[in-house]
Amino acid sequence: MASILSINNISKSYGRIHALKNVSFDVPAGSVYGILGPNGSGKTTLLGVVMDVLQAKSGTYSWFGNPPSEKQRRDIGTLLETPNFYHYLSAARNLEISASIKHTSGEDIHRVLKLVRLYERKDSKFQTFSLGMKQRLAIAACLLGDPAVLVFDEPTNGLDPSGIAEIRQLIIDLAKSGKTIILASHLLAEVEKVCTHVAILQQGSLLKSGEVVSVLSQEEWLELGAVDMEKLREVLNHFPGVKKIRASDNYFQLYFNGAAPAAGEINRFCFDQGILLNQLQVRKKSLESAFIEITNNVSN
Amino acid sequence: MGEILSMLRIEWLKIKYYRTFWLLLAVITVSIPAFNYMVYDFTTNNIPKFNGQSILGNPFSFPGVWKMVPYNAGLITFMPAIMIITLFTNEYSYRTHRQNIIDGWSRSGFITIKIIEVFLLSLFVTLLVLLTCLYFGFLTLTDPQSFAVEWEQFRFIFYFFVEMLDYLLIAALIATLIKRAGLAMGLFFLYMFVEQLVVAIGRNKYKKDWVNYLPQEVSDRLIPNPLGGKGLPHDSLDHWEKLVPVYLSVAIAYIIIYIYIISWRFRKAEL
Repeated sequence: MASILSINNISKSYGRIHALKNVSFDVPAGSVYGILGPNGSGKTTLLGVVMDVLQAKSGTYSWFGNPPSEKQRRDIGTLLETPNFYHYLSAARNLEISASIKHTSGEDIHRVLKLVRLYERKDSKFQTFSLGMKQRLAIAACLLGDPAVLVFDEPTNGLDPSGIAEIRQLIIDLAKSGKTIILASHLLAEVEKVCTHVAILQQGSLLKSGEVVSVLSQEEWLELGAVDMEKLREVLNHFPGVKKIRASDNYFQLYFNGAAPAAGEINRFCFDQGILLNQLQVRKKSLESAFIEITNNVSN
Repeated sequence: MGEILSMLRIEWLKIKYYRTFWLLLAVITVSIPAFNYMVYDFTTNNIPKFNGQSILGNPFSFPGVWKMVPYNAGLITFMPAIMIITLFTNEYSYRTHRQNIIDGWSRSGFITIKIIEVFLLSLFVTLLVLLTCLYFGFLTLTDPQSFAVEWEQFRFIFYFFVEMLDYLLIAALIATLIKRAGLAMGLFFLYMFVEQLVVAIGRNKYKKDWVNYLPQEVSDRLIPNPLGGKGLPHDSLDHWEKLVPVYLSVAIAYIIIYIYIISWRFRKAEL
């Protein structure tokens, strides 16, 4: 798959603080690429560098396989950090400026305002907007000209729960239509729900990057209980693929090499061995614990 | 060229519906003829007369008006400077300088357009000065022949343009470095005041000539006070005539330096 954005060894310092340390990864075409990390991990700095508003100390990046230029930025819809508009101008007039800079038709303004439910307020001044409306206007500006690549930095900032759900759905719909989306967020749930790929940053270092399923592997295990726990342990020791059996108060946690088997399969196995299970549950490691595990491993 | 025109059209979109811009422009447009009228009224009605003529002569008649109006307009350059500081610092306060780059302008393109804005405002104010000169010149015209000789004095309009550019680029430089409107305006006025103080002390107390080449002073000296005073008391008009090419060269050198620093600063800055 061709790379939309290729980041090679980017480093960036603010005085003695290393905001980015040799960060490298590629964003494949058609992916929804999450850049995940706690506040201050370097997500916005990284996006600032690739959008030419911050200067890297070292390293290079390329968009669409070419050295960066302002022409490429016109083909990317970007919301970086905060919505930046002329306070004294209306929503529509602000979008007219964005559309003109992007060399796209002003006719698209009404479409994008409708998409983010701001059409009725198109003539209201930006300074009269709530935080959520400002954020939605910034997303509308990103969609001008229907760009193939979108960069969203914390796109649900300042939105209420229904606004968050709407933007999430919009991102999913955009991804379905084949767009490449780069999404920086500190919200794991956001990344889990919409991203195909993820890069995890912590204190400016890239900890892991790749497909979500491989980076944030959500290990599964089974919890089983029976009246005769001793016999159950003996039986489970013979079940193929078992990696580890951990005893708890009145059940065992069963870990496997690779994916966990279907619950019905192990139920039948136990039954055939004369064990009647009184507890059988499939458990999955939460994304949060997977993330904490990665960040703790590196910290340690 | 097409790209520059398209960028200028976008700058126009930014100010077309900006009330403060129109208000400041109206104040500038009114203040230049109004301030000159006040001086005209004072020199005509409040100065002692000898044989029915003001002892100052007719500074608002051709050819003197070509010096008089630009000189007076030079005293109120702070008004267009306020407009430049406002237009520059707005971009920083709204963080639209950053958004314009993200959306697809180059850094050098953004700052070039802003500098062109400074040139356009300087041209506008110069045009106002020219029209004000013509108004007062024709208002006081008694001998139609005198209009033919004033073209030699027309250079003062060009000198005013240079003076205006110098002042407005100082304002633009301070705005680019400071980024906040209030602070930038305060610093601009403080700089104007401090330089005048240094010039006054340096010239009167220590008899130092180098103070004549300070940024504001050198552009002021392009248009000496037609009623006497700055530029003339210890130099004669002949002396001024000899030095004016030097003043002009230094003022233009300052313009080039300001443009260089403003562009360099914006191209290298973290936005």
